[in-house]
Amino acid sequence: MLFNLGNVLVFSILAIAFCAVHLALGKLLRPHNPEAKKLTTYECGEPPTGGAWINFNIRFYLIALVFVIFEIEVAFIFPVAVAFRDWLLNGQGLFALTEILIFLGILVVGLVYVWAKRDLEWLKRLQPTAAEAQTAAKESELPKAA
Amino acid sequence: MNLGSIESLAYLYPEGILLLSILAVFLVDLCVDDKERLGNIALVGAALALVFTSGLSFFDIRLIEGLQGAGEGWLFHRMIALDSFAIFFKVILSLSLVGVVWMSLGSREINGPNQGEYYGILLASGLGMFFMASATNLLLAYLSLEFVSLTSYVLTGYLTHNRRSGEAALKYLIYGGVASGTMIYGMSWIFGLTGSLDYTEINAALLQNAPDQLTLFIALVLMLAGFGYKIAAVPFHMWAPDVYHGAPIPVTAFLSVGSKAAGFALLMRFFYPALSQSGDAGMWQFVPGVEWPQLMLIVAMVTMTLGNLAALNQYNVKRLLAYSSIAHAGYILMGFVVLSDEGLRAMLFYIVVYYLMNLGAFIVVMVVANNTGREDLEGFRGLAWRGGALPAAAMAIFLFSLTGLPPLAGFIGKFYLFAAVVKGQFYWLAVVGILNSVVSLYYYARIVKTMFLDQPSDSEGEVTLDPHNGSLLAILSVATVILGVYWAPVFDFADRSTRFFLGS
Repeated sequence: MLFNLGNVLVFSILAIAFCAVHLALGKLLRPHNPEAKKLTTYECGEPPTGGAWINFNIRFYLIALVFVIFEIEVAFIFPVAVAFRDWLLNGQGLFALTEILIFLGILVVGLVYVWAKRDLEWLKRLQPTAAEAQTAAKESELPKAA
Repeated sequence: MNLGSIESLAYLYPEGILLLSILAVFLVDLCVDDKERLGNIALVGAALALVFTSGLSFFDIRLIEGLQGAGEGWLFHRMIALDSFAIFFKVILSLSLVGVVWMSLGSREINGPNQGEYYGILLASGLGMFFMASATNLLLAYLSLEFVSLTSYVLTGYLTHNRRSGEAALKYLIYGGVASGTMIYGMSWIFGLTGSLDYTEINAALLQNAPDQLTLFIALVLMLAGFGYKIAAVPFHMWAPDVYHGAPIPVTAFLSVGSKAAGFALLMRFFYPALSQSGDAGMWQFVPGVEWPQLMLIVAMVTMTLGNLAALNQYNVKRLLAYSSIAHAGYILMGFVVLSDEGLRAMLFYIVVYYLMNLGAFIVVMVVANNTGREDLEGFRGLAWRGGALPAAAMAIFLFSLTGLPPLAGFIGKFYLFAAVVKGQFYWLAVVGILNSVVSLYYYARIVKTMFLDQPSDSEGEVTLDPHNGSLLAILSVATVILGVYWAPVFDFADRSTRFFLGS
């Protein structure tokens, strides 16, 4: 029973050995001549500046998420477009059309929501939360009292 | 019956209603400035889903037939099953949606400019759970599990300016990613062994030629990572305390009630109809002779013991209830081990009882947090003597029911579980379960002692119960007491719901 997995074991050993042998061969053959310029990080030909641990703008991720809406749209409409011919021949063309329109409608709601919440603007002014608004109001009152 | 995509739509109205109410919440959120109303839309949607699942009848006059009158069958080319088992869980899940939405309407944490998103995503999570309860195909099972997980991550991190909530969401995400990745790897092994993703075909393939036992065992253990993560069973429980602690209280309640029930539905449907074979006298046999009941026996024992022992030392009530919910996953798993209809029935009944008492306990935690902003045990000190006599009394009922003390629903639930275990001759499991119940009495009773016997210090504020939260609390506590005395209707419902549709 255990021998059924023997192939897997041989494959893993071969895979590890393959990497090890090639790395070792390269180490033996290649010239070893380090200098400061060679050791710098490769950044598409630009001279690297600053550290890699910087804060990325969260907007990148939001835009990426919005992109997913369109991606799903395409990913699902392709198969429907292919199958649509058969549906037409069966006399179900109108049904298929309504169904895909409902699907698009749901996705458009998502887009409209993002748009109306102003998440498509690159710089969105954050609405203050209720608690922040209260403290802000209190702070503005304080000088009057003083 | 085995319906195609178009014919199936007629049996999908609870899900359809949920979908429409999700869209309605998001659209209305854009149009109105008064965000207080959005929760009501979600409440109506969840209530309608409940009505259309369970049917509506007054005095023998059926107003709406519900799913129960619809017969049994496969929908969407055998992707999901419409059977009494699925309907049972849909009823439980829509009940928890109604309860949690009602609870959120009275929560201080949820109240805010973004609550439209909260209610929309909460309903979406419920929609995913509906599919989890009825999936009969590994692909749909995985998709619905991921759907529920993704929405749960967002709900957990809903408190945007709270570090703990963000931390909980991130931990949940990382654990969830690992668990579901492991699970889908296990699914690929099952697919490799049987050549199918359909539960019935998997069953037939395993019966026809017994696969390599070690391979099947490894596949099952890998898949257990995903199931165990959803129901918070050891060793996949680590996320639960942190997530329950950090999430807003209604979300914690939803995770412990809804998410756990859906996880159990997925687990039972995979291990019973797909991997076992119904035999004589309500007993099930596992198809190729892998001793998974032994494995689950150990998991159940370790889960309840670890949950109870870890809960002993907790001073945050939400965290304590998290460990208690791990322990209860262990109790419910006891019924899973015995491989009989009796065990299944006891599990279903316990899930109903667990819904009542756990949701109730979280509402009391929320009432205290709404008034004092505290979730730790100190916030409960002398609760009965500073205006909170009613919530304190209700909490005592829920906690004693969670322990399993006699005149309450928890006792009946545990009784059926232990009866099934003893009848299946798993005596050690029964002994461990009973010892664990005794241990759990300590930390449940400590909360009751803090509420009633300890004198409140002067710094603690008054706790008042508003009618909104009070009404649900009253319903749940009365139901917990009544189910401890007269449980036949609910038990019959659970009994009727152990039927899986396996093809006609």
